[in-house]
Amino acid sequence: MSDHLPTRPAPSVGRVLAERAGLAGALLLLILVFGSLSSSFLSTRTLVSIANQIPDLTVIAVGLTLVLISGGIDLSVGSVLALCSAVVGVMMVDAGLSIGSAAVIALAAGAICGLVSGSITVLAGLPSFIVTLGMLEVARGGAYLITDSQTKYIGSSVEMMAASLPILRVSPSFLVAVAVVVLAQVLLTRTVFGRYLIAIGTNENAVRMSGIDTRPYRMAVFVISGALCGLGAVMQTSRLATADPNAAIGLELSAIAAAVIGGTSLMGGRGSVVNTFFGVLIIAVLQTGLASVGASEPIKRVITGSVIVVAALLDVWRSHWQSRT
Amino acid sequence: MKPPIVSVRGLSKDYAVRVLDGVDLDLAAGEIHALIGANGAGKSTLCRILAGLTPASKGEITLMGDDFRPSDKRDAEDRGVQIVQQELNLLPSLTVAENLFLNHFPHRYGWIDYQKLHADAEVALQRVGLQAVNPRTPTGTLGVGSRQLVEIAAALVRDCQLLILDEPTAALTPVEISRLFDCVRELSEAGVSILYVSHRLEEIRTLCDRFIVLRDGRKVGSRNTVDSSSEEMVALMAGEAVTASKPFQSHRQNRVALRVEDLCRGNQVRNVSLEVKCGERLGIAGLVGAGRTELLRAIFGADRADSGTIRLGDDASIERCSHPRQAVRRGLALVTEDRKQDGLLLPHSVRINASLARLTHSLGWIDRRGEVARVEARCRTLETRFHSVEQPVEELSGGNQQKVVLVKWLESDADVFLLDEPTRGIDVTARQQIDRLFEDLARRGKALLIVSSDLDELMQLCDSIVAMAEGRVVARFQRGSWSRQSVMEAAFGDTSP
Amino acid sequence: MSCLRWLALPTLLLLASCGGEESGPAKPQVALIMKSLANEFFSTMAAGAERHQAENSRRYDLIVNGIKDERDLSRQVALVDEMIARGVQAIVIAPADSKALAPALGRASEAGIVVINIDNKLDIQVLEQEGLAIPFVGPDNRAGARKVGDHLAQALESGMQVIVLEGTRSSFNAQQRRLGFEDAMRDAGIVIADSQSANWEMAQANTFTTSMLAEYPQARAVLASNDSMALGALAAVKAAGREGEVTIVGFDNITAVQAAIREGRILATADQHADQLATFGIDYALKLLADSNQTLDDLETPVDLITASSLD
Repeated sequence: MSDHLPTRPAPSVGRVLAERAGLAGALLLLILVFGSLSSSFLSTRTLVSIANQIPDLTVIAVGLTLVLISGGIDLSVGSVLALCSAVVGVMMVDAGLSIGSAAVIALAAGAICGLVSGSITVLAGLPSFIVTLGMLEVARGGAYLITDSQTKYIGSSVEMMAASLPILRVSPSFLVAVAVVVLAQVLLTRTVFGRYLIAIGTNENAVRMSGIDTRPYRMAVFVISGALCGLGAVMQTSRLATADPNAAIGLELSAIAAAVIGGTSLMGGRGSVVNTFFGVLIIAVLQTGLASVGASEPIKRVITGSVIVVAALLDVWRSHWQSRT
Repeated sequence: MKPPIVSVRGLSKDYAVRVLDGVDLDLAAGEIHALIGANGAGKSTLCRILAGLTPASKGEITLMGDDFRPSDKRDAEDRGVQIVQQELNLLPSLTVAENLFLNHFPHRYGWIDYQKLHADAEVALQRVGLQAVNPRTPTGTLGVGSRQLVEIAAALVRDCQLLILDEPTAALTPVEISRLFDCVRELSEAGVSILYVSHRLEEIRTLCDRFIVLRDGRKVGSRNTVDSSSEEMVALMAGEAVTASKPFQSHRQNRVALRVEDLCRGNQVRNVSLEVKCGERLGIAGLVGAGRTELLRAIFGADRADSGTIRLGDDASIERCSHPRQAVRRGLALVTEDRKQDGLLLPHSVRINASLARLTHSLGWIDRRGEVARVEARCRTLETRFHSVEQPVEELSGGNQQKVVLVKWLESDADVFLLDEPTRGIDVTARQQIDRLFEDLARRGKALLIVSSDLDELMQLCDSIVAMAEGRVVARFQRGSWSRQSVMEAAFGDTSP
Repeated sequence: MSCLRWLALPTLLLLASCGGEESGPAKPQVALIMKSLANEFFSTMAAGAERHQAENSRRYDLIVNGIKDERDLSRQVALVDEMIARGVQAIVIAPADSKALAPALGRASEAGIVVINIDNKLDIQVLEQEGLAIPFVGPDNRAGARKVGDHLAQALESGMQVIVLEGTRSSFNAQQRRLGFEDAMRDAGIVIADSQSANWEMAQANTFTTSMLAEYPQARAVLASNDSMALGALAAVKAAGREGEVTIVGFDNITAVQAAIREGRILATADQHADQLATFGIDYALKLLADSNQTLDDLETPVDLITASSLD
């Protein structure tokens, strides 16, 4: 082997576009398939109802994507969301706070959960899988404790985030979620913080040996994920008008699925927030579409599961193809 | 002489470069044959080919008169060629007995016959003098020396015509070594041929009948041990000095760039003191395991040193670095030995890799355009070849990858460069370009600390050379006062038992 | 092209699963929104509804949807919104939570959809707060639980101790059944030593029963608020070696429990005619659709006591 390299057109930009076009195409195809199967699917109402039910999953998946890119995992997102939702409920119903103050406290609660997971993971050198598995239980327990295991009905005072806006018809939650996606993508691709996250997820040792202390970055990403759980909790509580300590059981799996469909590597170092958003949209369209055509429960599960596995397979093929060419 | 059990003719192997070039070798039944040579001479490659771990590029091997071309390690083992490698391959959580018979458990209908397993294991352990070890103990609880002997025992429980021992004594105590030698001699009397790889010339003189010397992948000599002296062996290994293509020019200034005093880390780095001046290129010679890599890592703060001081330039601080971050801030740069493991983000672009140590930004925002421009300019001066700065580094050749690592540190504007095997696995052209870069850095007053197993390279590049052995600096040489022989003897010196 | 490839499989499955669906515009569409269809109780209910639709296919179309577990509120609310968007004429729903679903169902009512509440009764206060009138079609769980409790009381004596396994406490049914059990026990002078929620689940019921039996060795009966929990309790009693000593009753009359009742290992359960519960709701919805002047009253459906003798 010599220094001579095979001639091939410059990559990267084209690749990234192709990846995104693939996801967008897939989404479009799903919409068309369901549209042809159910006359009501391609209506503004359906699309608006999809838009208004995804904000919580979107922000959670964004946080999780950042964690995955940095080479960690956060299994506690669903439980932390439930805990934050419980905090919102208690603050609004029992302490009589406004939604604004309750939201700030919920975000702080989520950030604290993230800080705890992050510090233990980074400072004690434990796998984040185990630490956040513990946090999953702790936060769920906390949610039951502060609500006394009761669903807290809040009512219309909390609904403004989820209510459809005039003209736009989507909810403020949806707009916030889109803003979070854009901000996180910018953070990831344009800032030093994002660059280091990607680098740490790829080869933490190399980053350390380049004279960078990786610990604050790895911790910060868990704090971000936790705070986004708080935001997701506000969105979900607003949509349900209820704080539910049982909320979001298994949400971490949907969020992981969304990230994987979007091509985020579970091994770290690769991923895109915008692609995760496409993953969320694909999951939501699939779910709504299947409900709309009245597919039976087993079929729904089989199809949803297949889409996730096929997406992961494509991911493997893609990296294979990239390393080959 | 008895007819050969193993006969090797014209064996060659090409990786990025040719590492084995037309080697011939004959081993008679019961012969103990030493294989010696400097690091990177091709010894391990030869062993790996014989053991079926890697295929040869060219050449023929016959085993007991039959053509021998093992498809994998299992195939070689089935035909009676066993290898005990340098790195330990035992599974620490399994018991000694389980490790010994890992790929051929005695069983009845799929159930492991533990009684037979343990009885067989005891016999096997006895052969290597480990009768005191209970076969039921977990392997991880044994010391390194015992584990090495267990590996040898594992090789011997299979049918054995040729036993390859690759540096088997590196981790052994003198008692264990003599036990091992007894075992090897017994095997030899039983007609097993042994290929014995070692750096320790005294061992070879006491144990082996003959030796073969490799240098740069070529066989440069083959003698009976009784007929030759240690000096002759070293001379054969070292070879003729290659005339430097370009006359050496020193850029050493009087100002001290880095002063290390009494640096210690465990038993890998022991009381090392050294001084590098601005513009000086200081080479560190020594064997693998002499503590050279560990020294660089301890200076850089990649591993925490136990004691000692480090002073950079005119700094008042003599604090040791506790984290690479601190080292980089103080103007140090470390090019690691294993660039894939510690140096590069393989799937990412040249741009991302090259700007990792120093990202210019304002308030956390990366200046993308400036980043591209600077990386492109740097890479051009080093003649790095790629299609665009967006190409993943894993697609580049070893030489170009190393250049990307160097570009990273040029970007960081370091004053002292710690370079661990900077030209390993790199072809000649790239090596020359990198050597020119070093000269250029020295001219600009940078201090370079270069670890290399290639003595020729050090002698060609450096103002001065220190030799390390067993964690200590054992000798210092200035340009003009060194000879290949003197440096090698210093580096090999302390290791004979 | 890759996206096409990876869509092929789900698309094919999808076409296979719903190829037959064609809806004429004239027939009303009824959406049945259940809790977990993995739970036999709800899948029986859904099967009953589908049978009813097959027999009355000229009268209406049916879309059945469920959530992945009993507590996935968020998804159930989303389902209501999706059904509103789909433009169905009626929604018959078994709410996963008696409070949380109210706002979503309010949106449905606003959109002119007839909403019928089955299985789990929506919280009256919340309905008032939201200004909603949603009729409940279903059994009186408290009365049913009381029937079971009374039957058990005949086998026990006054002053004895019993244990109660509740469902998820936030659910209306769980509260009603607990109250029914308590009514019966109070009247018979039997002491409830402990009452805990096992969240309707067999495994949790098993764990809790084991620990409660250890704590209250005097306990002579377990009153489980559903049959899954009764089966969990049965296993715990058996493991404790106290079969025959500790009597068990359940609620729902699922198939697995019928065998246990015939064998005398469970004393009794209550049948609220699960297979017809949804059907009652759908019929009521169709009636309301046909006659918009109908008042939105609740409709009570029968609950029967099931014992070994009634099974034969």
